[in-house]
Amino acid sequence: MNPITPIINGLAITLKHMFMKPVTLQYPDERPKVAPRFRGLHALNVSHNKAKCVACYLCPTVCPAKCITVEAGEDANHDKYAATYEIDMLRCIFCGYCVEACPVDAIRMTGEFELANYHRKDFIYNKERLLEKK
Amino acid sequence: MVNLTIDDKQVTAPKTATIYEAAKLNGVNIPILCHDKKLKPFGACRMCLVEVEQMKGRQIPACTTPVTEGMIIRTSTPDIIKARKMVLELLLLNHPLDCPVCDKAGDCDLQNLTYEYKVDSNRFVDEKFHHEIDYNNPLIERDMNRCVLCGKCARICDEIVSFGALTFIDRGIETKIGCEFEDGLNCEFCGSCISVCPVGSLLARPFKFKARFWSLTKQKSVCGYCGTGCNLTLGVKDNKVLTTLYDENQGFHKGQLCVRGRFGYQFINNEQRLTSPLIRKNGRLIESSWEEAFEVVAGRLKGGNSVAALATARLTNEELTLFRKLMLENVGSNNFDHSGGYAHSALTEGFTRSFGVAGSSSTILDVQKTDLLLVVKTDSYETHPVVGFEINMGVKNKGIKLNIISDKRGKLSKLPGANTFVHTPGSEVALLNAIAKTILDEKLTDASAASISGYAELEKGLAEFTPEAVATSSGVSADSIKKLARDYAAAEKALILFPVGLAYAGHNQEMASAAANLAILTGKLGKEGCGVLCLSEKNNSQGAVDMGFYAQNGGMDALKILDGCKNGSVKTLFIAGENPVVSYPDGAKVKAALDAVEFLVVSELFMTDTAAMADVVLPACSFAEKEGTFTSTDRRVQYVTPAIRKNVQCKTDFEILSALIVKLGGTAPASPSAVFAEISAGNSAYAGMSSVALRTEGAFTQLNLSPKLVVPKAAASLPAENGKLALVTGSALYHSGTLSQFGEGPMYVCPENYVEVSRKDAARFKIQDKDLVTVSSSTGNVQLKAKVTLRMPEGVVFVPYHFSAAPVNAIWNGAAVTTVTITK
Ligand code: SF4
Ligand code: SF4
Ligand code: SF4
Ligand code: SF4
Ligand code: SF4
Ligand code: FES
Repeated sequence: MNPITPIINGLAITLKHMFMKPVTLQYPDERPKVAPRFRGLHALNVSHNKAKCVACYLCPTVCPAKCITVEAGEDANHDKYAATYEIDMLRCIFCGYCVEACPVDAIRMTGEFELANYHRKDFIYNKERLLEKK
Repeated sequence: MVNLTIDDKQVTAPKTATIYEAAKLNGVNIPILCHDKKLKPFGACRMCLVEVEQMKGRQIPACTTPVTEGMIIRTSTPDIIKARKMVLELLLLNHPLDCPVCDKAGDCDLQNLTYEYKVDSNRFVDEKFHHEIDYNNPLIERDMNRCVLCGKCARICDEIVSFGALTFIDRGIETKIGCEFEDGLNCEFCGSCISVCPVGSLLARPFKFKARFWSLTKQKSVCGYCGTGCNLTLGVKDNKVLTTLYDENQGFHKGQLCVRGRFGYQFINNEQRLTSPLIRKNGRLIESSWEEAFEVVAGRLKGGNSVAALATARLTNEELTLFRKLMLENVGSNNFDHSGGYAHSALTEGFTRSFGVAGSSSTILDVQKTDLLLVVKTDSYETHPVVGFEINMGVKNKGIKLNIISDKRGKLSKLPGANTFVHTPGSEVALLNAIAKTILDEKLTDASAASISGYAELEKGLAEFTPEAVATSSGVSADSIKKLARDYAAAEKALILFPVGLAYAGHNQEMASAAANLAILTGKLGKEGCGVLCLSEKNNSQGAVDMGFYAQNGGMDALKILDGCKNGSVKTLFIAGENPVVSYPDGAKVKAALDAVEFLVVSELFMTDTAAMADVVLPACSFAEKEGTFTSTDRRVQYVTPAIRKNVQCKTDFEILSALIVKLGGTAPASPSAVFAEISAGNSAYAGMSSVALRTEGAFTQLNLSPKLVVPKAAASLPAENGKLALVTGSALYHSGTLSQFGEGPMYVCPENYVEVSRKDAARFKIQDKDLVTVSSSTGNVQLKAKVTLRMPEGVVFVPYHFSAAPVNAIWNGAAVTTVTITK
């Protein structure tokens, strides 16, 4: 093949891209739009001003990274609720099994992906931090 | 045996088997929901339907149908699967299906079957139940919305526990399980109903929401309370014992437990457990290092004969052996004892002289194999509830005759056909003697009796115990005494039971010999279903006797040791686990003695009243944290292994004693199993046992009886004084020793000491139930809650001994019967 053709082809592509919308995001000035099924930071769903979680222990049971800690408590009506609900984000592999296992739709995964932090302890998300913000 | 075909397989099964049992024997699993092998067949749920060809392919319940010769059975045809699915659909129709918040999930028969049969939709629609949930008691939650009406709870409570707290109420769709007058549950809280409930209707409240079934590690162990030696499965998570689990195949009792075994485990992970050695400095107990504590204690143990020791019969055989070795070889003192020095006298003196061995001649397995039970004191149920279950089943299912002599009526008196002969307090031995006298006089003896040594002396020695004479002193008519004697002699097999313990001072060597005489005279000894079974109090009472941890060869017994503390002949006292300030007679005297002794070292789990007086306190370990053997009251040796890791700051008594032996220049054994090897080599009763084999199954110690007739001395009966009452002490059902005070379950249902008074006395002294009354004796007085009951005879009051608040030993000095007055 003529040695010039590939170079011309290459330049043609470069030229085409000069007129296309750029793929690179100017993060953090520009924000990505995450897909609805994106598996980011967890949130505990709320209904009737209460976390929906009933502390059934299915998510800590199914979690392959063993990073969920649930401790159940008994409230004044003798009902079960999660007295402790913690996820260790350093160990979470964002597989989403916890969401799938939940029988009462109490946990979901949000689009939140900026989880960097300065201290290890800040990666432990307790119930307060996980409750969905409305 | 009959031959039959199950699922095209030729099999055989015993004639008495049901189809379910035959299938199970041959490895075919038929699903069940309402059947339990301990209970009578009931046939309520229809889950176990099978097809029998001879019955024209009709579907019949396998759990209630007996096998017959040539039966051709199919257990899983498409039709049967369909029928079972329908059963489940109907059960799930009104079921709340709140598995996420139901503690039974993971261990739920309904859940498992629903999963197995893939019932994921329902053809029917109906409303769910709206029954009120019973939260009235602290131990058992009853949620009848989840109930599948299998009836197991009501049946076990009736057939085995014989309490009858639960029953079916209403009919048809309204049917539910309830208590009398649809009230909250108020029973003996053995938890048997929880253990058999196939769903989450009955749940243990102390364990509620604590953990999921599948996250628990199941650790097998042996109950640390009474001498029955029940086997336990502890549910452990994160190194904490969270509950006891039911295993229907465990032990002679098939997983049955009493309230203490089932709900009393909390002492193991109790927050009040001692976690550091303490040394008294300037009058205060200060935390210190083990090294320092051992140094101080070892220094004080170098006192030869001025050193004495008391141990609880809750230590393992290995620890008791080591303790004895420390005292004899390294300290040079034979002053050591356990259980007040008297609670073991029935074994160490009574049976030793009557049977030639310090152990009961029978086992708990004999209870259901006998024809007649002669029980001394209805308290046998309270002290050993699971033995009580055996009595219940024997009497109700096998028609065993039950004769009771007791100073009060009790639960055993309510069994069908039970005869309770209520006698004046303290006249048990005289009564047994009168029975022996009648047997001799009426020539009801066995042919072998006359040749047994002591026969002539016994005939002479019992001269004054004519039924007529004893009738006047005991309050039991001469005719009744003769009837007791004739019943006993006439029965082909007969077994005598009596409890012993710190609170049963009258149940001593004399009672043991008096009971043994009856067995020897009538030849009811050394045979199945015959003999005498002494129910000893603590989980290793028999072991403590077998290991020789009691005063022998001129050593001081427990009460002498306490006297010695007072008069200065004992300078150092080492107490391991015993709590004499609360449990020994005459608390004031015990306190004075412990105050007076120069140096007191206590190894304990908790800061008990005794530990609080010590110069050095060593934090020890519970049965769940150590390894070793326990010997039950019927001489069954069982091995326990640690269910949880111990707190690093605590040491087992084995480690404590080993360290002290080394400090005193001796050599300590390598491990508990090494000590057990020594025991089985040196003690003929334990010969041939290996700690490895015992881990899988317990074994009975060997027993060579050499019967001898001994004349038992009967205590003079106490003259009744005007306006005064006779106090008898004993054990309450919910407690065992003083340890159960640290188990939350027992304390929920029986939190404080009380005095049981008859109705007549209550009326006479104008006492109402729950009144606070002062009970005084010549020793002192104590304030107790009154409990007015029907079972007490007039003139007699009962106080249990377990409690450090309002202890009975404020008014009791170790007499079998104490004269007291009651004022409001
Ligand atoms: S996403 Fe996966 S790893 Fe993370 S908490 Fe859920 S189950 Fe565990
Ligand atoms: S009883 Fe069984 S099926 Fe019913 S809610 Fe509880 S776990 Fe689920
Ligand atoms: S706890 Fe025991 S006594 Fe009470 S209802 Fe259940 S089985 Fe009966
Ligand atoms: S409460 Fe439990 S054991 Fe009792 S009938 Fe209902 S399901 Fe059966
Ligand atoms: S206290 Fe006695 S009867 Fe009750 S469970 Fe324990 S060993 Fe068995
Ligand atoms: S198990 Fe046979 S009818 Fe319930």
